[in-house]
Amino acid sequence: MVQVAEERRTRRRRASVPPPVVFALVLIPFTLEVVGVFWPAINGVWLSFLNWNGFSAAEFVGLDNYARMFTDPVFFTALRNTGIWLILFGGISFVGGLAVALLLQSERRGVGIYRSALFLPIVFSLVVTALIWNAIYQPNGILNIVLTNLGLGDWTRLWLGDPSTALYAVIVAALWRQIGYVMILFIAGLKAIDPAMLEAARVDGANWWQRLRYIVLPQLRSVNLVVLSVLIIDALRSFDIVYAMTGGGPFRSTELLSTYMFEAAFTSRQLGYGSALAVVIFLLAVGVIISYLVRAFSESKED
Amino acid sequence: MTEKSRRSALVAGSVAFALALSGCVATGGGSSSGPGEGPDAEGPLTIQSRLTNQDAAALDAVVEAFNEKGGGQVEINEVPNETYREQLPTYLTSANPPDIYTWLGGEATRVFADEGLILDISDIWEDFDFNDALRELSQDSEGTEVFVPTSNYWWGVYYDTRLFDQLGLAEPATWDEFLDVAETLQANDVVPIGIGLTDSPWLASAWFDYLNLRINGPEFHLALLAGDESFDSPEVEAVFEAWDEILPYFDDTASGLSFNQATTDFVQNRTGMILAGSWFQGSIPADQLEHFDYFKFPVIDESVPDGEEAPTDGFFASANTDQPALAKEFLTYLASAEAQEIMYDATGSGTLLPTNPDAEVELTPYAEKGREIIQNAAGLSQFFNRDAGDDVQPSADQALTQYLAQAAEIGDILTQWQAEAQQARDARG
Repeated sequence: MVQVAEERRTRRRRASVPPPVVFALVLIPFTLEVVGVFWPAINGVWLSFLNWNGFSAAEFVGLDNYARMFTDPVFFTALRNTGIWLILFGGISFVGGLAVALLLQSERRGVGIYRSALFLPIVFSLVVTALIWNAIYQPNGILNIVLTNLGLGDWTRLWLGDPSTALYAVIVAALWRQIGYVMILFIAGLKAIDPAMLEAARVDGANWWQRLRYIVLPQLRSVNLVVLSVLIIDALRSFDIVYAMTGGGPFRSTELLSTYMFEAAFTSRQLGYGSALAVVIFLLAVGVIISYLVRAFSESKED
Repeated sequence: MTEKSRRSALVAGSVAFALALSGCVATGGGSSSGPGEGPDAEGPLTIQSRLTNQDAAALDAVVEAFNEKGGGQVEINEVPNETYREQLPTYLTSANPPDIYTWLGGEATRVFADEGLILDISDIWEDFDFNDALRELSQDSEGTEVFVPTSNYWWGVYYDTRLFDQLGLAEPATWDEFLDVAETLQANDVVPIGIGLTDSPWLASAWFDYLNLRINGPEFHLALLAGDESFDSPEVEAVFEAWDEILPYFDDTASGLSFNQATTDFVQNRTGMILAGSWFQGSIPADQLEHFDYFKFPVIDESVPDGEEAPTDGFFASANTDQPALAKEFLTYLASAEAQEIMYDATGSGTLLPTNPDAEVELTPYAEKGREIIQNAAGLSQFFNRDAGDDVQPSADQALTQYLAQAAEIGDILTQWQAEAQQARDARG
């Protein structure tokens, strides 16, 4: 009797199947992902081979939409602006975020206020951010008034109306929002560094710069990976701030691939061309990130 | 998590993210099926509405009046305007579309009608009493009626009567008088022509429309917008030669101004004149409105028949509605004088003119003037995007904002405009 019970217990243990709720927890998100992400994405790729306005009969045109990019001056403007955006927005967010994180990492009195001040822009909705910066950049806005009062009247501009400054004006607004976020990521990374290592370096006579160069930065490598990936993705999908502040204008000077994609697909109703642009954005994002990852991975193998 | 698995998770995450980005285009099939047949399905009729503010109040009032009659129930589904514009093709091609839609007459409706997405209502049009221009606006390319026009409105050059009185200016009727007015305003440190382009570049199209109507006439204008003429033609170049004459009077900060800021500048007399539709009266503070007036866009060439912008709004029904009989009954009601009177009264502002000639409404002085401008016109256009199609509007926005900033480049601008407009038309299939 005892033996039978013993045997049943082991058998039950061996044949244990996870309860249905576990399957549900796996399958429901997976299904949502398939329906909400993968299926539309695959459809997007398929759409890029069509000439379709969203309601009439779609026509299969092969690679025509991709070929059109090579003769489309707006595409090259958007591509160039996206490159500038990637380098300036991505680069300054990274360096600026790291700089303020180093500055504000130690727990001194009042440091929380500075951190909050830098983080605050993220709390505002993007539309509000655009409104604030629009007001600053108005022809009679704060920026021009301040410049005039400082005796720099020659520097006043139609910041958002001048094609030579509009893109940079929007990048400043985007940076204002992004740096606080990057700072938080870096502060988290800095907190994870063992203070004993820094203490040991200090005892060995390493100065501030040496400690940064040989201990802090190498220790931050995994955080860098996250920050850079986030920044590349954020830069390539940047859309909202440009759309809200300039709509890609004046005459295309702030057009990014993403805003051009939106215009092509939803305003001009050229869903095929819009999708082809979306595919290009996707390939760029994946290309940039993978090439970075490959480099980072080969570096870490050398260690 | 190991270093490697963290990285692969990151890659997978990025891929999914970017895929989501590229996949944000809604998918759907092409058009299908003809008008609904057989008895109506049960349940209320749904109106998909993009109307806001007073226009929405007008729709509410007319729906309430219809529902009280007991012939059937109608309910309204409100959608923000921009979303509506983007989603309209999706609504119309969906398996179970809303029944009735608020929309614009002319090409804007025709593009859907030609795909068989809009209910043929030529049978109820037999009983309608609208003029021929409105009938034409309501037809698809084959001359079948698909649209019920319920209201239209006027465009004019708005100005502050106090400022004009102070400077001894009268409403200009001709191009030379207009140039004189602009000159006088400028001499008195008022920027003659205000416009805001950062968020409303489409307002520049009004200037293009009017100059083209006055120089080349309504017939050429409509042919150009329909794609039968080219934006880099000599006729269009002539439009920009005239525009060159008034370009110095345009606000040179326009490209950095939003519409709201431009309105503020106008109300505060920093700028003297603004070309706008009747809706602009809603942007002027109510207690100030009595000081503002508008005049008809001046005549440039007396031998050219007068064309006017008279954007017409109305309703159509989906071809796939499962209640075609009730839909037609409701559309018939919307066309009636009674319904249009209810709508006019409910807007309260008198900025929308009823289209039914039998509608008896007490017009405000503004509305009376607008109605005369429209009635005396030799030809009517809608507005750039309504005549050319929404998909062609972005090409005009780019071309005209660039012209306002870099007029010397006009040759290249027109070539590019024509190319972009053609691409948008080609995509219609």
